[in-house]
Amino acid sequence: MFSPIAPLTHSITVYLDDQPISASKGESVAACLLRAGVPFNRLTPVSGAPRLPYCMIGQCFDCLVEIDGIGNQQACLTIVRDRMRVRRQNGAAIALEHSAQ
Amino acid sequence: MTQATDMRPSVPMDADIIIVGCGPAGMTAAIELAEANRSVIVLDMQPTPGGQIFRNLEDNISQQSSDRQALLAALGPAYRAGADLIRRFRASSRIDYRPLTTVWEVRPDGTVGWLRGMDAGYLRATTVILAHGAMERPVPFPGWTLPGVMTAGSVQTLLKAGNLKPTGNVVLAGTGPLLLLLATQLHKLGVKPTLIARTDRFSDGLRAMRYLRRNGLLPVVKGLGWLAQLKRSGVRMTSGVSDLAAEGERKVEAVSFTVKGRRVRQPCDLLVVHDGIVPAIDIPNGAGLALQWDQTNASWRPRTTSDGLASSALPPDLQPERCVVRITGDARRIGGAEATIAHGRLTAQAILAELRKGDGISSKSQQAVDRTLSVRPFLDAAFPPGLSAKLPDDNTIVCRCEELTAGALREKIRAGFGNMDALRGETRCGMGPCQGRNCMITAARLIEEDRGACGSTPPVFRGRPPIRPLPLGALAGLTGLDPSATELLTLEDKPEHDVEATSDVPAE
Repeated sequence: MFSPIAPLTHSITVYLDDQPISASKGESVAACLLRAGVPFNRLTPVSGAPRLPYCMIGQCFDCLVEIDGIGNQQACLTIVRDRMRVRRQNGAAIALEHSAQ
Repeated sequence: MTQATDMRPSVPMDADIIIVGCGPAGMTAAIELAEANRSVIVLDMQPTPGGQIFRNLEDNISQQSSDRQALLAALGPAYRAGADLIRRFRASSRIDYRPLTTVWEVRPDGTVGWLRGMDAGYLRATTVILAHGAMERPVPFPGWTLPGVMTAGSVQTLLKAGNLKPTGNVVLAGTGPLLLLLATQLHKLGVKPTLIARTDRFSDGLRAMRYLRRNGLLPVVKGLGWLAQLKRSGVRMTSGVSDLAAEGERKVEAVSFTVKGRRVRQPCDLLVVHDGIVPAIDIPNGAGLALQWDQTNASWRPRTTSDGLASSALPPDLQPERCVVRITGDARRIGGAEATIAHGRLTAQAILAELRKGDGISSKSQQAVDRTLSVRPFLDAAFPPGLSAKLPDDNTIVCRCEELTAGALREKIRAGFGNMDALRGETRCGMGPCQGRNCMITAARLIEEDRGACGSTPPVFRGRPPIRPLPLGALAGLTGLDPSATELLTLEDKPEHDVEATSDVPAE
């Protein structure tokens, strides 16, 4: 869906669901995930539908991810840090399924 | 630090003025006030100054690579024009600039709740300026929650600050100058949109002609230039479209719409939508400030005086002695960069006059505001809201957070939940992480539809702090609390007999 305009400079490493991916210093987590081409950054808590960033300016809250262990962080407002650990959110429905097993 | 000079002597002031937002309006006001020796704190969600219009400008102009030069050329001179303003903002030592800071509460008395990382607290100033800007008009349509449906602003943000451009089949749909500007910018970057589906019609443009003013000619000429360029490049464009829908299972695969009575379907990888820009009213509404309905822009905006002074709409027992909040820039009224700069300066002059530190609003400043806003009536008429013109059908999601459809809301409204807060309490519409930013206008219009009320001021959800998520860890460590307004509760407040009752339980 997106491709880099210029080659990555000042590349750092971010962990997405424990897999290393490269990120560009100063970019938002949301931009980093879109470049990585993830199909979704979260599944909704109600129906489990996939979502990707929609507004990119902190208004829609669709880009929520877990960052360094804290959930529901706005990926479009968070700047990547070296060795940051980002997790996609899998929705309450799936979380409940796991706890019931 | 400045000492308190108003009616709250017990709590020290953190600055003369707190400004929320670091776009052109906020930066201009900050520079003017700092030059008059006022202490200023600027809070902004972004990592660098510029707001959305000059987003990441410092970084883009500092890079010499040919790719960046090409990006700057594509973004055009209006983007680069912010460089001097940002330089002057950075150079001022009296401005305490705090980036990556979220505001989750503003009170009419000049108190501001802030969050940065896991640190949070309150700040106080004699005056607060809200310059937090605008947002794109939220428009529910079938499939708007699918991955691959994004707003024009978000794609522009990715160009400016994400080093990303779209690939594959890109369809732009909606109306407004931003949609056409983005199309030209994309084309200059080698991305030729497959189709631009405009909701506005030729007749809108004709009708708008009578609002043309001499001072507003330049932006119109610029816009016609974009259109001519797109036409020359062979970008397909159709106008007068309605009933937009995004199709796909796990992502957008196609877009369909009606034009001249015919249903058209176009496969796409990215659907970019835009239906104009509206003031972001989250902070004013959360602060209990008075709002008004702007019929021409079909949006709420805060009720202010011409120099930006807001008024409190809180009930009498919650009214502050004096409302010290001013609102400027696109947060007050949509006008674009030049208009927000002009009004930011005017607001600063009004504040300085109030503090008896300046000559008041200069006629030059007033003229600049009038001149820069003179193209708005034309734009409002030429690009009327289109995607949002009709209310969504029953199957369309209205509340993205709680995944509530228009049908579900209509059913509850018919069942008696006919005011905004009752509807919110019953359905959770507006209660998700976005706090109603995307659904409030549609929920209000659905209520009006049921009442048969049209043309009135749509009702709003009652806003309450925190208006943005505040981690409990940050809340626990709040700084800047007002001791006179803080009540300490401890475990010792618990009734004694609870402890005695449990001691009767035999040990196992």
